[in-house]
Order: sequence, then C-alpha cells, then structure tokens
Amino acid sequence: MPGYEKVNGKVVKADLSRGPVLARRGAMLFYTGQVSFRPAGGGMPGGMSGGMPGMGGLGAIAGMAGRALAGEHVAMMAAEGMGEVHYGFRGSNVTVIELQGELLQVEADRLLCHDANLQSSVVVLGSGGVRQAVRGAVSGQGLATTQISGMGSVAVLSHGGTFALPVGGGQVIGVDPQSYVAAQGNLTIDVGASLGWRDAVGKGSGEAIQLKVSGQGTVYVQASERKL
Amino acid sequence: MTPTILNPNTLPYNDNVNPYAFCVDLSQPWFMRKGAMIAYYGTANFEALGVTNLASMVAARFSSPLYANDWVVVSGQGKVVIGDRGYDINSYDIDAGNLTIKASNLLGFETGLELKQSIVPGFLTLIGTGKFLASSNGPVMFAEPPVRVDPEALLGWADCPSPSHHYDAGWMQGFLGAMGGMVLGLQSGEERQFDFTGEGTVLLQSSEEPRPDPAIARALESQLYGVDHAGLTRIQSVVQQRLMSQQP
Repeated sequence: MPGYEKVNGKVVKADLSRGPVLARRGAMLFYTGQVSFRPAGGGMPGGMSGGMPGMGGLGAIAGMAGRALAGEHVAMMAAEGMGEVHYGFRGSNVTVIELQGELLQVEADRLLCHDANLQSSVVVLGSGGVRQAVRGAVSGQGLATTQISGMGSVAVLSHGGTFALPVGGGQVIGVDPQSYVAAQGNLTIDVGASLGWRDAVGKGSGEAIQLKVSGQGTVYVQASERKL
Repeated sequence: MTPTILNPNTLPYNDNVNPYAFCVDLSQPWFMRKGAMIAYYGTANFEALGVTNLASMVAARFSSPLYANDWVVVSGQGKVVIGDRGYDINSYDIDAGNLTIKASNLLGFETGLELKQSIVPGFLTLIGTGKFLASSNGPVMFAEPPVRVDPEALLGWADCPSPSHHYDAGWMQGFLGAMGGMVLGLQSGEERQFDFTGEGTVLLQSSEEPRPDPAIARALESQLYGVDHAGLTRIQSVVQQRLMSQQP
C-alpha cells in the first residue's frame, strides 16, 4: 500500500484512514476532516483519558525515556481520526522511505513523521558506548538517533533533498557527518577519524571525520552540509 | 548545458525568469518591498513612499502606515528583477477581487491594487484589479475550506471570511479541567489552528523559518494605549524575562 503522498518536494500528505501518524511537533501544516492531536511518548495531559487505540508500537519504555532525555526539540505528537493531514517542516525537503520490516536509523532532528504502528526507540548520546558518544560529538547532530522498524512509511527531512546510496558486498561507504540523513537496513555506522598532526595545527583537509557505513542496506545522503 | 544570457530584450515581460526570480516591466509604476530588487535595466527610480512625486496615488493606494517604511514605489523605464531568499516567486492576477497575504511574503504589486492592513495581525489585504508578487517556501498549495491550518504554514486566502482560531478538543478539555494551568506545559504543538469555512481558496506553503517582521513591534506598540497601569507592569515583566533569556 502506498504510504504518504508527496504534494511537492517539501510537503507530504498522510491519509489517517491508514492509521494514526506520529509526527515531529509543529510539523503539521494543514488538515481537513476530524483530526485530533496529542503529545506522544511523554507525559499525558487531561485529554488522554480516551486511550491510544492502535498505538501499541509506541509503548517501549526505553523509547519514552529516550525521548524525555533527548529533550523538547524532538518531541513527537500523534494525529488520529478521519481526514488528511499535510506535514512539512520549515521548508526542508522531504524524502519518504517505505519500510518492509527492516531497520531505519535516522537522526532525531531529521524525522518528520512515521506511521504509528512502527516500533521506534531513541538511542541517546552515550548509550551506544564510546563510539556513539564520539560520533554525536563530532558530527554535532547525532545527539539522539531514532531507530524505527516494522512495516510502514517514514518521512525524513533534508536540505535540498536526498539521494540513496546502496551499501553491500563488503563495501564501506564514507559519508560526511553533516550530509548523512538516514540509514536503512542492517548497517553499522562508525566514526572514521583520520586525525593527524596536520589537523592538530589547523591545516587539515576538513574531511578528517567521516562516518563509515558498512553492512547491507541503503544510506540516504543530502547534497548539503546544512543541519536542520 | 550552456547558460542562457539575458538582456533587456530577452528578459521576460512581467513573468518568471526562473522559479526564484521574476522580471517586472516598468511600463507602469509598482509598489515593491525594500530589498526585493536584485537587478535592473534602464532608469528605475526607487522612491520612499513619503518623497515620491506620485504622492496622491500612493496615499490613495497604500493604506497601511504600519508598513509604509518597508516599501518603495518604483517608476521609470526598464526591467526590474525581483528575488527573495531563493524562495519561489509567484505572481497572480486579481480581477476585481480581494486577497489577503502574509506581509513578510508580499514582494510587490501593481498600482491598480489597493493595499490595506488585514484585521489579522501580520497580514495585508489587496483589493482591486492587478498583478502582485509573493514569495513562498516551496510551491504554493491551494486548499478549499473547510480546512484547518497551522499559522506558520498559512500564506494567505482569497474570498474567504476571516479565519477564526480553532483549539484541539483534547487540549481544550485539559485546559477547562482543574489542571488547566499545568496543561500549557504539555502541548502537542498542534493545539491551535486557523479555521477556514465558507467559500474561497486558502493559500499554503511549507512552513518557513520565522523571519522577524518589524511591523509586529510597531503594531504591539500602537495597542498599548488601551492598557492600564497593572497591564503595563505585567507586560514590562514579560519583556524583561524575554530579554534576559535572549541575552547572548
């Protein structure tokens, strides 16, 4: 079943009859029909008494704790009801990725929305060991990586659009940390730091720190170094 | 690919050069937002609204003291190219109609149109017949009411009754409950929308990074006359807090 419909390069339309959608807070542009919005994965206000039908995938305690730690800026909200909701965020370009059971790793800042039936958890800086911590620190954006799996659609944000690079056959792809958007499949992402004395004295190539992606899957890259 | 080289004869006549630039022909004067011009051919006079020799026309057409300092009137002979932050530039013709648009996205309009401040702060209404230019982040989307819109995504509307505020029912329930004050900290970010009903068209864009609109401060200032001493004290403390938190 097709997921979100792209209205243009910067906007997607989600039909809620396919099920509820979780989206980055503030990403709703406009909607038609009877739709209600509520905070997801955090504390529940008074309006929550109705329960959350069809949102079991969201319940992982680790995911909630991770969200709380990761801070307000990646707070998610759920939209449910009958109608069509348009999503976009500050004019960033949108890429829709269909998941058929594989894992998607995406920087929490770059997640626009995903189907609520997908499992998601947040890996916060440091919890992945020293490498993860170093990666977050050097890329300046890997403070919280969201891991999503299941069957459904995910929309991610980029500056200027993304292109997909296949990874496999024992190859390793090096990606600029600022250009890295998301990784789909069974992929390992390491920081490759080739720091030498030149970098120490400020005469490095400027490309000393790269993400080394290996395994089997697809990595999504933007042709820009702008963070969101 | 060889680049197309444009000259005064090959530049389009009142049309887009590319999605991000628009060429205006000065066969008649235009109102333009300051800073919108990126290049021009010929003799174009950019005059502040207060010092132009078209004073009576300006006074009759530009009915917005709030924005008068941010606009110029352009006259002369030649072609002016207009751009805005690399956003898409859209031109529309209004034929004996009305259209309201976000003030920070309006770039220029022909003098056949009359400009007025909308009752909704930060929006301007154009009435009459003529062409206008507006920028948008990504292509403009059109929606028919009934539709509910995030304030940041709203570009404008034509022929619609003015929008009203809509608050999400779940949020209202919490607000009206005993814990009303507490709920404000736990928002979905989507509890407030503009609600459009009735006949008309709503113009939308992908929400953009908010740009400071200098007119907002002036509008707030002009509203202070009706505030009493207690209100002014309260505003002062709010402003003080904001200033403290914004210190670099």
